[in-house]
This record gives sequence, structure tokens and C-alpha cells, in this order.
Amino acid sequence: MVDGLQGNLIMSKSEYNITVNGETKSVVITEDKPLLYVIRDDFNLTGTKLGCGLEQCGSCAVLVDGNKVLSCNRPAVEFVDKEITTIEGIAKNDVLNEIQQSFKKFNAAQCGYCTSGIIVSLTDLFNKRNHLIEKKL
Amino acid sequence: MVNTIKLNTGASVKDYNKVSDWLSFETPDKILISSGKVDIGQHISTTLALISSRELEVDINSITVKKLNTDVTPNEGITASSLSVPNSGTAIRSASIIFKKSFLDYASKSLNLNKNNLKLDNGVVKDPDSNASMSYWDFSKTDEFLKLIIPENIEIFDQTNIDHDLHVETKFINSIVKGEYKFLHDLKFDDMLHARIIRPPSYSHKFLSIDDKVNKYLNDHNLELYIKNSFIAVLGVDEYEVIKSLNFLKNSIEWEQINKLANDKIFNLIDQNEKDSLVVKRGGEAFHEDVPEIKSFDDNYKTITTEFNKPYLMHGSIGPSASCSIYKNGKFEIYSHSQAIYALKSILTNAFNLNENNITLHFMPGAGCYGHNGADDVTYEAALLSKEFENKHVLLKWTREDENCWEPYGSASKNKLTATLDDKNRIIYWSSEAYSDTYLTRPMVNKLENFVSQRFLNNDFKKYKASPRTGAHMGIHRNLDPIYNFKETRLVKNLVHDLPLRTSALRTLGAFANTTATETFMDELSIEANIDPFEFRINHLDDERAIDLLNDLKMHMEKDNPLENSYRGIAFSRYKNSASYCAVGVELIVTDNVEIELQRAWITVDAGEIAFKEGIEAQVEGGFIQAASWSLYEQVDFDNNEILSKDWDNYKIIEFDNIPLIKTSVINRVGYPYLGVGEAVAGPTGASISNAIRRALGERIKTMPFSQESIKKQLLG
Repeated sequence: MVDGLQGNLIMSKSEYNITVNGETKSVVITEDKPLLYVIRDDFNLTGTKLGCGLEQCGSCAVLVDGNKVLSCNRPAVEFVDKEITTIEGIAKNDVLNEIQQSFKKFNAAQCGYCTSGIIVSLTDLFNKRNHLIEKKL
Repeated sequence: MVNTIKLNTGASVKDYNKVSDWLSFETPDKILISSGKVDIGQHISTTLALISSRELEVDINSITVKKLNTDVTPNEGITASSLSVPNSGTAIRSASIIFKKSFLDYASKSLNLNKNNLKLDNGVVKDPDSNASMSYWDFSKTDEFLKLIIPENIEIFDQTNIDHDLHVETKFINSIVKGEYKFLHDLKFDDMLHARIIRPPSYSHKFLSIDDKVNKYLNDHNLELYIKNSFIAVLGVDEYEVIKSLNFLKNSIEWEQINKLANDKIFNLIDQNEKDSLVVKRGGEAFHEDVPEIKSFDDNYKTITTEFNKPYLMHGSIGPSASCSIYKNGKFEIYSHSQAIYALKSILTNAFNLNENNITLHFMPGAGCYGHNGADDVTYEAALLSKEFENKHVLLKWTREDENCWEPYGSASKNKLTATLDDKNRIIYWSSEAYSDTYLTRPMVNKLENFVSQRFLNNDFKKYKASPRTGAHMGIHRNLDPIYNFKETRLVKNLVHDLPLRTSALRTLGAFANTTATETFMDELSIEANIDPFEFRINHLDDERAIDLLNDLKMHMEKDNPLENSYRGIAFSRYKNSASYCAVGVELIVTDNVEIELQRAWITVDAGEIAFKEGIEAQVEGGFIQAASWSLYEQVDFDNNEILSKDWDNYKIIEFDNIPLIKTSVINRVGYPYLGVGEAVAGPTGASISNAIRRALGERIKTMPFSQESIKKQLLG
């Protein structure tokens, strides 16, 4: 969090294992560095967007162990040993998931800046819906 | 039978009349289109490729729109005012027609075949006997191709048989859904510095001092600070370190407030402040003439008055503005998502005293925005910083707070209307006055003060006075001239000076307020006259396309039975009285707690001949959602000292739960010119929502936004 930061404090960097889209990397970061910047800088995956940095707009949504998480504020160190999936990892073997297919079918983007966040959020919602249906059956 | 129709090849062809200005042919099978219009999410790339593919009879996938940069693509001015398809689309269509015709002539001569027997297959003709062939790509290597000129008028083929309901995949959708589409924000260079601006609390705060402890912080965090007068930026290799430093640095700076932001409520200031008042005449031009008094009529006539107030609105782009620039060996290479790429090149050439060969601007997509937001400011700032940090790419991004507080807003405005009905319920007199700040402070050569940072760079805190524009349907008086055949009109444009917030072009400029004012008043008058709102409008129209439009909307709305407890409202306009026609119907429920729940919307649009139907639908439906958001939720809040709408919690916009089911009908006018469609829907949306609320409440809510809090306040007086 930017708010409440002790400006004169130098934070030391440490090494952490982070797993994004099945790839584990050892990253050297300060313990406050938000997940979003690790995804964009260290994994070079730029589909996840910075929109507000305040967990308000949803452009930075990713899945952590299948659940939606906003990545712009929460430190990456919270997600060591977790499976992080970004928009780039949603299609499996280059086959789009049902949400992506639907967005494509209806040309459902104008500029597309927030589209990654919407697709990730809907994927989370549909996964939960499918899980509920399975449970009912 | 194939009919031919005459087509004027349009404004862009006047400057670029060679076919090779617009089309180039790469092997194998690739055709490149050049356009000076930028793709800001309005699907212009797809529309242009589709237009060309139809005329050239090739698959749309073989056509690519060239990346826009100021060295190679035609300068078609600013991408604004719903002119992309009318200008660029018409030019590319004309170039494609001339190319194909000339190719067939050339091929027929070269292959010694009768032109009428030539069969074109994806850009290739073959002699069935000798198997000799000739292709577009062969022809493009000849001198004849380079000599091809587009005349002022050409003949086009009647395209009645095109199936516009066939799905066309938009150019970038596949990479967008996979997260692979690159935005300016995603640029990476090995030598790159990330930058942020340290903004003062308001427009008129002067830098006084900075705490010494900052130096240690900067050293420890590998950051650099740039200070010129009151313009301050922080730069570093690690983007997050730069972001993290902002709070600390802001808290280490002392500022002096030169002027208060505001000293009264905005609608009082609009009434009180000095104004330039101009008379607007039928046709939409404004004149510096004495403004006549409002005419009065005797008691045999019914005269009613109203007013409409709109707050400041922001562009609200989901991704804050960004730009990247490098200055190396005396040359700038700049990446920008501005709609005014070519204008920026001239301005920066002038501002940095350069030879124009030493600056190239590349368009790269940013987050969608229709109008003048921070894109131009950030480009100037990035260029300036890159000149100070030579030989490095500087990627400057605005923060969410920067975007919300420092962009130029759509002005707050007021409309005052008076109309008189005769005994046959015809409007015989119409007076309409618009009051607003300017909508036109886009950057210009020798007007660097239009960049928001200029005042801080020079410590120059004086307010520059805008001057009123007089051209037809310019900013404040856009769509002030009603499309109706009123016998007598009194139209007045008032440019109000010394208003508190920075303003410029926001989608539709003054047309959103003026159309909302006109169309809500028409509804009020139809209620007064006790006549159906469709019929009342049609009674005052001569324009057949406008009448067809309203009848089409009525037909579609009547197909759907009204939902229980819901109310409907309609409105329409022709944007600038020269672009697309658009009619909107909405159905909404006002809850017991006076919340507005949008249920359904119907839109009918006439954009001339259809170029890309799904593109038109996306533009009007997206425009509807934006205008519904303006109408129901949006308002820039500020106090005497600062802007308060710093983030999405403090600047409400529509959310998915209040987006209605939208049904759109597109009227196809084969052989008619393409009409710009990006802005047509906004005014009718605001008015139709207001009209439905009026019918629900029995009372007109005159000030936007029509939020629960605002409606309650207005109902209680």
C-alpha cells in the first residue's frame, strides 16, 4: 500500500518463488511489491493492467488458486506457493475458454484496456457457478 | 442490375489525392491501408479494412491498417468530431475503386483479354488459355500505379446486395481476449526510466521548498528528481519504487496557494460571471451581434420556460494517460495515444525549436477516451523529461488521481429555454440559450498554456481567457440550432469566463447538454399540448430521414409490451445537424427510494450507407452507456481549494447492474455518404432518460446527475 508508507525506510530485497501460469520463477523483490508489478516486470506478462492502484476498477484481476484477486496492492509475497493465473494463462493449449470465446464472438471490446480484468472476473464467477451446479447434481 | 451512384471523395482526398497515399501492396497477399485516423476503440481499423476489401474484392484478413506515425501516414488532422469514416473511409473507398478499375484496364491490355471477360479472384486475374496472370501486387510495382489520382467525384457501385448481418471479427479482438494486445503502457526498453509527476494540490499552487531529507531517500531508492519552477517529476528504473515515492515526496514539499479554486457554487458562477454572448442563426453559425430580448406573446398563446443544468464531467478513461519519449542525437522519438498526433508534432517541433525532421510521433493505443483527456499533456511532459534525461526512454504514466484531477473536463453548463405554442399546438417561437465554459483548449502551436504543466513550468498562474468560436456547431453551440421547423428562433451562445475548472473537448462537446435541453423541452411541450411525443415531434419536422427514424423507433418500442411499473421516454437528434441521425427510447423504473433502474433501451440510427454494422452498433451502444452514466451518476466534485473526485469512490459511474437490455436498429441508406456515428446517441440518451423520469415522477428534474441524492434534493426544493 502506498498510503501509510514510511518514506525514509529502506526495504531490503529478498528472494521468493512465485508461480504464474505454471511457471515458477525466483524473484528478488521488496516484501511490499504488489503482485501486479511482479507479473508485469518479472514475468513480462502485460495483459494484467494497472487502472487505479486502489482495488476499485478491476483491471488488475488475476486468479489465485482459481479465485479472483485484485493484484495492484496486495504484496506478491502473500502468494508464494500459490498458483497464479493471468489473462495469458486462461486459454489452455491455445484454446480460449468459454468467456474468451464469447467475447471474441461478439467483438466485445472497444479499446480493450479493461477486458483482461473483466474476462478474469467472469472466469472466476463461471468457475464458481459450475462448481455450484456440480455440487447440486 | 448494378446501379452506379456519384460519390464525392471527401475532405482527406483534397490533401492526399494519390491512390498510393492510401494503399500499398506487400507480397504475398498483403495489402496495407494508410490512414491518419487513430484507432481509439471505435473499430476504425476494421471499418476501413472492410470498406477496402469490399471494393477490391479481397478477403478482409489480407488487409492490414498501417501503424500510424507522423513520418509515413497521411495527416488527416485530429481524430475527432465523428469524422473518421466520413473522411478516411471515403478516401480509402475511393482509392480502392480507382485502383481496381485501373488494374482491370492494365491487366486487360497486358494479357490482351477483353475487360468484360476478366475474372478477379482475390486480387488476381488469369488468362484461362495461356494461364498467364496478373495480380494487384504486380500492378502495384508499375509506374501507372504511382500515377493514379483520385478525382473529386467518382462513380460507385450500388452495394444493395451486401449482407450486413454477416459477422466480421474486429481486427484486434483475438489478441485482446488473450491479453496479448500491446498498449502504450506496456512498452519496455532496456534503457527505460519510469516517471511520475508530483502534482500540487490544485491548479494554482506554487512550489516553495522541499525538505533536505529527500536527497537521502532518492539516493537510497535509486531515484532522480526533476524540478523546474513548480513542475516536479520523479524518475527511476523500477516503476514501483517511483510510485511508492510519491506520497513521501508530496509530503516533503511546501506549496503556496496563489488563488482559490472557487468561491461559489458552479451554477451560481455561470449566472454571475462575465460572458461573451453571441447570436446563433439557423445553420448553426454564431455571430457577434446584439442579442435580442425574448419575445412576449399575448394570452391567446401558451408560453412556457425551463432550464437544464449539467455538472462538470470527466472522460473517465479506465487507464490513466501515458506517453513514452526518447531524445537522442538531437531527435525525438515519441509514443502517444493522443487523438491529435499530427497537431502534437507541430506543437512540439515549435516548443522545442526543432527541425520537423527531428521528431517522430508514433500512435500507440491507450485506454479508450473520446475527447481531449490527459493524452496530450502527458506527451508534452514525457518529451520534456526525455530531453532532460537524454538517450533514455522515459515512460511517464499519470496516476489515477492525476487522470481524475488534472484532465480537462467537459464543462458544467446551463440551458435556458422559452417556447410559445399557438392554438393548434404548434411551436411558433423557440428561444434557447446555452451557457458554458469553452470546449476547445486542445493544444495548439503558440498556445503552450493549453498544456496543464505549462503554468508550473513557468510559474505563470494567470487565467487565460478563451474566445468564442463562431463556426457552425462549434463547441458550446453544437446542436443548439434545433432540427425542427420552428417559425421563429432566438438562439444564444454564452461563453462564461473565469469558471473554476479546466475544460476542453469531451465526447459531443456542447451537443449533449443542448440536445438534452431541446429534447426534454420538446417532451414538456408535448405534455402541455397533450399530444403523443412521437407525433408532436413529427408535426415539427420536414426532414424525411428524421421522420423515418422516429417511426422506426416507435415501431420497435411498440413490439415490446411495457414492463410493470415502468415508464418510457424518447428523444432524438441529428448530430451537428449533419452527421448521423439517432433516436433513443428508454424504459425505467423509479424505485420507492427514488433510485433509477434502467430496464430496456431501443436505439435507431441512420449513419448513411452502412460501412460496418457491428461497428455502428458498438458505437451507439457504448455511447448510450456512457451518456446514461453521465445522466445518472457523474459529477466532478470540488471545494474552494481542490478537486475532490480523486478516484472511483468519489466519482461514480454506471456499473454493470444498471445497464439495460439494448436493442439497436440500423437503417441502411445505400448510396448515401457515410455519416459519423460516434457521438450521435449521447444527447438523445440524456433526454430520453430525463423524459422517462418526468413521466414517472410527474415533475421535471432539471439538474444532472439524476442520482438518488440529487433527485431527492430537487424534489424537496
